[in-house]
Amino acid sequence: MTESFPPPDRPPASAPRSLSSFPPPQGEAVGLPAPEADGRWHRLHPVTPVIRGWKVLAVLLVVLVQQRSDDLFRGGGLPGGVELLITAGALLLGALLGAVWAWLSWRMTRYQVAQDAVHLHQGVLFRQQRQARLDRLQAVDVVQPLLARLLGLSELKLEVAGGAGSEVRLAYLRDAEARRLRNTLLARAAGLKYETEEAPEAPEQQVLSVPTDRLVLSLLLSGATLWGAVIAVALIVAVVVVGEPGLIVGLAPVLIGTVGATWGQFTRGFAFRLAQSPDGLRLRHGLLETRSQTVPPGRVQAVRLQQPLLWRRVDWWRVEINVAGYGFSQTNQNVESVLLPVGTRQDAMTALSLVLPELGVDDARHVVDQGLSGATAAGGFTCAPRRSVWVDPVAWRRNGFRVTPRALLTRSGRITRELAVVPHERAQSLALTQGPLQRKLGLASFEVHSTPGPVSPAARHLDAPTAAALLDEQAHRARVARSTAGPEQWMSTRTSAGDHEIPVHRAQPGDLPREP
Amino acid sequence: MSSEGFPDPDPGTTARSAAGNDPFAPLGVTWTPVSPRLVTARRLVLGVVALVPLLAVVVVALLTGWPWLLLLLVPLLGLVGWLFWLIGRQVRAIGYAEREDDLLIRSGVMFKTMVVVPYGRMQYVDVEAGPIDRAFGVARVQLHTASPGTDAAIPGLVPEEAARLRERLASRGEARLAGL
Repeated sequence: MTESFPPPDRPPASAPRSLSSFPPPQGEAVGLPAPEADGRWHRLHPVTPVIRGWKVLAVLLVVLVQQRSDDLFRGGGLPGGVELLITAGALLLGALLGAVWAWLSWRMTRYQVAQDAVHLHQGVLFRQQRQARLDRLQAVDVVQPLLARLLGLSELKLEVAGGAGSEVRLAYLRDAEARRLRNTLLARAAGLKYETEEAPEAPEQQVLSVPTDRLVLSLLLSGATLWGAVIAVALIVAVVVVGEPGLIVGLAPVLIGTVGATWGQFTRGFAFRLAQSPDGLRLRHGLLETRSQTVPPGRVQAVRLQQPLLWRRVDWWRVEINVAGYGFSQTNQNVESVLLPVGTRQDAMTALSLVLPELGVDDARHVVDQGLSGATAAGGFTCAPRRSVWVDPVAWRRNGFRVTPRALLTRSGRITRELAVVPHERAQSLALTQGPLQRKLGLASFEVHSTPGPVSPAARHLDAPTAAALLDEQAHRARVARSTAGPEQWMSTRTSAGDHEIPVHRAQPGDLPREP
Repeated sequence: MSSEGFPDPDPGTTARSAAGNDPFAPLGVTWTPVSPRLVTARRLVLGVVALVPLLAVVVVALLTGWPWLLLLLVPLLGLVGWLFWLIGRQVRAIGYAEREDDLLIRSGVMFKTMVVVPYGRMQYVDVEAGPIDRAFGVARVQLHTASPGTDAAIPGLVPEEAARLRERLASRGEARLAGL
């Protein structure tokens, strides 16, 4: 099994192959630059199978408890001695099998950090060899599930632009290792030349944070909570009127689902902090499972600022982004795509300015203001014509767009207000669509296709000639913007645009903010 | 303010296209139609699919001995006839144009769409041909960008044209390749 495993290109005297020599003795590692990134093959932390195996045991326990509780309810009483023994034996066997499998899978998992790529080999029966090119790196996340956090371990996720499931996951590494590796990878992906032995951690500056009380209030003001409350009240009324407590059982799943979803949003948005660093945006959040995301400059494909109806009084906004590696699914809560779970208008504008520092207009604030809550041509917006009321009776006044030298802003939605911003160079393709009713009214919709994510920018029901002209111009602007866009390696310079400066950062103990 | 190189978004200068009434016919673009053989292929598929309910109606009418059931054939045949006619229009509405930096694709009769795909944004190009397509000598070229929203497919190309287009798109894409 191990014969075929280390690939032929592996240097002869390299990574430890036996369990006894791993982790490498401390004496060897001292003084070597970033020992995880030395181009050799490494294994993950040996505690990994325990954390993974624990899940198997947990699943078995849940199944068992469900079975037993059914029996108990039917009046079966507590199980007898023999039955108890059999159950315990089965549990033990299951746990043992899980442990063996987890250990095998740990044995078969190796990673290598080369100069321009990360290689990951894994799989027991079905082997997989994955390579992620660092110049295609879209984001780096350090994730700490609760148990791993207690043990001082982290998972490192390297997102490349292949949509959901395309990431390279290194789970689990020691906290310090994970951070060091992240810094090395970001430095290499940035094209940064550093003089120190270890890649320096980019200094960061916290820009925004979400206070817990605001997060709680924002969740209480969300549609899901409202529905939950309505259902709960209806339930109580029904039970009182009918006098049949069994009704609760019927609607309980809905209630549990609502509460669960809200709780999930709370734990994910807890202690949300947004910071800025030369490596890009740093997002930290989470109550039980903490997540520290780094999105390098130029990796954000589109931004959306959104305001549900109930947040209008307090003027709060949620900011979401499209990043190529994070992917998107309708069912899954897209944890990673949230740039700001809730914030004031000022916060939302700050978040937007981090992603897109310049709109290229002098009155950027006014323009964004109009995009957020305006419904007229103020701020330079081109609005949908009055006749579009026939196809969009509610929100027609809000539909509109504004082109700045840097980005396209499209606003929409009257009940849930939305403003989408796409930098010109990030549009993948453009489309113009027209249905039969729109044709009768002389209208057409304009769409920008962005990478998978929560944001899909569109300016709907525009005057047809305006939409056609917009399509034509945006194609031109995107082309010009692409040719002058910054390099993929954000700290290296292009030969043509030599006005950037290569920041050479030397790590100093004082300038690193403390991680919690 | 680093706005050099960007065109000024002045609405006054925007009347380059859409001088006519049809926003789907920009000026200076010559559309290439797809092969009329696609009409035959699609009509054949329609015919085969339509045969099932038509036969079902006839069989049920014969078995039950209710001849008035055959009246159902009238709306069914009407629908098939309309689709027959629509296929012709739909295929004629499909067109593509290779511009210097992007590919334009338009389609649709009732619901019209026009997609602009920059060559530098193309991730890969598929050429597909099912058994019926092959029998009629047509193929389908599909362009993929990093966005799942890009719906850029050209059905009904003659295989030689499909191969030529694929090669051309690939070479143009390489020349203009950009990051995400």
